[in-house]
Amino acid sequence: MDSLNSATLDAMQLLVSGDSELWNIIGISFRVSTTALLIAVPPSLLIAFALAYGHFPGRRLLISAFSTLLSVPAVVVGLTLYLVLSRQGPLGDWKLLFTQSAMVMGQIALCVPILVAMGHSALQAADRRAWETARTLGAGLLRSVLTVMHEVRFGLLAALLAAYGRIIAEVGASMMLGGNILHYTRNIPTAIALETSKGEFSQGIALGIVLLLLAFALNGMLHYFQGKGRFAV
Amino acid sequence: MNPVVNIQFSGIRKRYRRRIILDDVDISLHAEQCLLLCGANGAGKTTLLKIMAGLLRPDHGTMNIGLGEMKWRRCKNVLQEKVMYLHQHPYMFDASVRKNIAYGLPRNTSPANRRKHVDEALQWAGLEDLASADATSLSGGEAQRVALARAWLRAPAVLLLDEPTANMDQESRLRTHALLRQLKDAGMAIVITSHDILQFQPFAEKLLKLEGGRLTHIGADKPDNVSAFPLQQAHHKQA
Repeated sequence: MDSLNSATLDAMQLLVSGDSELWNIIGISFRVSTTALLIAVPPSLLIAFALAYGHFPGRRLLISAFSTLLSVPAVVVGLTLYLVLSRQGPLGDWKLLFTQSAMVMGQIALCVPILVAMGHSALQAADRRAWETARTLGAGLLRSVLTVMHEVRFGLLAALLAAYGRIIAEVGASMMLGGNILHYTRNIPTAIALETSKGEFSQGIALGIVLLLLAFALNGMLHYFQGKGRFAV
Repeated sequence: MNPVVNIQFSGIRKRYRRRIILDDVDISLHAEQCLLLCGANGAGKTTLLKIMAGLLRPDHGTMNIGLGEMKWRRCKNVLQEKVMYLHQHPYMFDASVRKNIAYGLPRNTSPANRRKHVDEALQWAGLEDLASADATSLSGGEAQRVALARAWLRAPAVLLLDEPTANMDQESRLRTHALLRQLKDAGMAIVITSHDILQFQPFAEKLLKLEGGRLTHIGADKPDNVSAFPLQQAHHKQA
């Protein structure tokens, strides 16, 4: 118990003192995950919309496929992309393995199914009259899509936050694709795994606190917008 | 007001799975003419209106707006431009009444013009006091007036109304009637579906009945003398 207390105290000191190595790891984590989310959101939401409002062959199969992909472990995504990006793989010439770009690719692969599945659920639950009203009032296709998305924005925001929470905390894909290189591809989860394996708990706990604070902030944000978000058109 | 006012739909067919909803329906719409469409629940009135508004694809059918017959794929955008459909319970976007009314204005309208047009629409529908109110919390009658204000501002050639006064109190009905009359006098072709035929007798020139997927014309066209219009007779026949 004493060791846990002292490790936690050390972790707090690390955070407060502005330890450059710790904050570099936090910066890489946020940079990689935010980039992955920003790239993944537009196509994922359009796919979700097409699945909710479109009528085309194979639609149900695609919905099932995206729901199934939700439960694929991060390490399997990491392994698959590792094989694709490794020197002998089809994209080996791109020399992306053990770079932040590879980590971004892995995190995109992880968050797209979440965004599509949760986005589809939110859009499916939207009142169909919203789409019809937008169209009959002369809105074009894109404006009508954006209008319906605005009407279910809290459901879509929840999807975004869930996806962000998933990718910023995943270790398997980042470890395999990034290689955990200090100051380059070491992010919060891979650093926690490394420090814990060395018996250095302080930095691990400090990074864990950052992740917990992030989760708290994301949930707080969602509730804030749900409470205050009316009239945002 | 949109200049195109004569629209003819021919051979509209629609089925849901094995059930035939519309079977070779022909219907023509003309400026300043009001059609009253009646029929039992599930007869396909809403389906027909949504097809005419370009919101629902028929299995078969053509449209003519004076440029020759067009297939639905080609005429869908024309319909969405010239025809406006109002739901039985109009949908209000999660925004103020003012923003709901402004939604139908062209995107390139300047802020000053936008404000001016919306103010006029609010005044026209008697909604000035509700301009800043949350549109999703309006009563049925108020929401219908917002929907009519949107129509007034957008000024389509054809206005389709699905049970516009269902579940309304007498005062709200009278207000809705007054607004509808003004829209009709402004040159719009109007189609109303309703179970209450007598209520819309003063507006309607034709009474159509949808039954078994077929559209039939009940009685003669309304003559100038309103009292001679056989709607009441048709209503009794229906009963």
